[in-house]
Amino acid sequence: MQSNQTFADVFKARGVSRRDFLKFCSLTSVYLGLSPSMVPNIVQAMENKPRTPVIWLHGLECTCCSESFIRSSHPSIEDLLFNMISLDYDDLLSAAAGTQLEDQRHRIMKEYKGKYILAVEGNVSTKDDGVYCMVGGDSFLNTLKETAADAAAIIAWGSCASFGCVQNAHPNPSGAAPVSDIIKDKPIVKVPGCPPISEVMTGVITHFHTFGTLPDLDRLGRPKAFYNTRIHDKCYRRAFFDAGMFVPSFDDEATRKGWCLYKMGCKGPTTYNSCSKIQWNGGTSFPIGSGHPCIGCSEPNFWDRGPFYQRLAEVPFLGTDSNADKIGILAVGAAAAGAAAHAAVTAVKKAKEEKHDNKDNA
Amino acid sequence: MGRIIEEIYVWRLPVRLYHWINALCMLVLFGTGMFIAAPLLSPPLGEAVWYKGMAWWRYLHFVFAFVFIANFLFRMYWALFGNDKYGRFGGFRPWSPSWWGTPFREQVESYLFLRSDEPNYVGHNPVAALAHFVFIFCGSTFMIFSGLAMYGENNPGGFSDLWFGWMIPLFGGSYTLHFTHHLGSWMLPIYVIMHLYAVVRHDVVDRTSVTSSIITGYKHKVEEEPM
Repeated sequence: MQSNQTFADVFKARGVSRRDFLKFCSLTSVYLGLSPSMVPNIVQAMENKPRTPVIWLHGLECTCCSESFIRSSHPSIEDLLFNMISLDYDDLLSAAAGTQLEDQRHRIMKEYKGKYILAVEGNVSTKDDGVYCMVGGDSFLNTLKETAADAAAIIAWGSCASFGCVQNAHPNPSGAAPVSDIIKDKPIVKVPGCPPISEVMTGVITHFHTFGTLPDLDRLGRPKAFYNTRIHDKCYRRAFFDAGMFVPSFDDEATRKGWCLYKMGCKGPTTYNSCSKIQWNGGTSFPIGSGHPCIGCSEPNFWDRGPFYQRLAEVPFLGTDSNADKIGILAVGAAAAGAAAHAAVTAVKKAKEEKHDNKDNA
Repeated sequence: MGRIIEEIYVWRLPVRLYHWINALCMLVLFGTGMFIAAPLLSPPLGEAVWYKGMAWWRYLHFVFAFVFIANFLFRMYWALFGNDKYGRFGGFRPWSPSWWGTPFREQVESYLFLRSDEPNYVGHNPVAALAHFVFIFCGSTFMIFSGLAMYGENNPGGFSDLWFGWMIPLFGGSYTLHFTHHLGSWMLPIYVIMHLYAVVRHDVVDRTSVTSSIITGYKHKVEEEPM
């Protein structure tokens, strides 16, 4: 039965040598940030554990997570998708469609009750009973609740499923909510990013498969292995930041010299992700490497912290767009005006009293 | 002019030292903080290795921040265990309705010109105590906690991160915490304006030499003017 094959069986069936199999295990351990002594554990798990069934749901989303996922280079996507994880339901990638596909989802939910991973891409429309996101004739809200009920764990792919992303940016017309707002009784791994790095996605799945537990999570529910440090901390332009050498505009000498993009609104100092370590598309580059400031796409509500090309976000204040400095200066002005007015009243009052006193004495 | 009829030793040395160290720290922290948010100066073209344009400002910010924290903790100790009549929390009881009653209302009315006589306090009057509680106690506490949380971001799992990192999810992410810290820094100029104005005004109206009292420690009672 194919769904009970182990990873090693799959490798063997596809003619991959044991040497390459061990290479894959070593690479995976590196991506997971594990010590070399953990490699035998990975090998053991890959050889003995049946593949973990995965149900992959799509809600309100743009499919950029899947686009990123299929560009994984270590391991390559062909191996990953057809052989490594048992991706039993994915309405984007499955060959089947309609009733057949929905039947498959129900079969997995029954046969692997409490054992399958539920991967969720996109978030949930909650307004008007979730009518703004209908999949397979039912609202995504219902589908998610139904499928999550018997899942072992949930992986929230991307910023949508993790924090909400553009759908729940102000004013959030469809009432979009991240998975953690809907499902409260299941362990959830948040893998934010718009999209997340493909190796991060495959790394999280491999961790669960290898150890049978979720990876260590940080305070926001993200795997520490990939989201423990900021882009800024590992940025190759950090030396320019410390030196105070900043790009002032996009078309000058400093840009060509590759100085720090801090003043161009780079959100690297406040963004937790692995872009500056693992990089993208098999280590080709990442936004800052291509000369563009980080927009902080893996941080909560990053759409409402804009504009992207300013350090200081604009926030609504007294009905207009403002920022911390404008609000501060306004408040200082108000305090100064208040003090001046108070001083004036004091002076007038004092002068009057003295006049009064003089009259009394006279 | 009225004669000085009494000299009162109000601000003891620890309080005066705290005041001036605090003032210096806050000014430096505000200045360096604003520079870190919007670095205006830039080094000439060259190799990054020779310059510390941003690192130096951040270093100053952190050094003064730790002095500021130590100074704040010292003041808390003094307020609680210093046995200092005018420098302790004793008179400040915002949880008690009676505190908001006569003494606080009287002082507010006086500030709003609703009564002609000035209530006389040797230490802080109730309105000043409230202002200090909001700006100095709550303000400093917030700036210290948020600052340490951001400081801890450099070293995940370290002391600062373990003890103060919870501020980051509380404010919905690192960026929002930075933003709020930045916004909070504007408390300083607002407070300084109100503080200096109130001090000068009290000195002119009550003639208690409150301005020099933070240097000498002494306030004066003057004779009612016979005119």
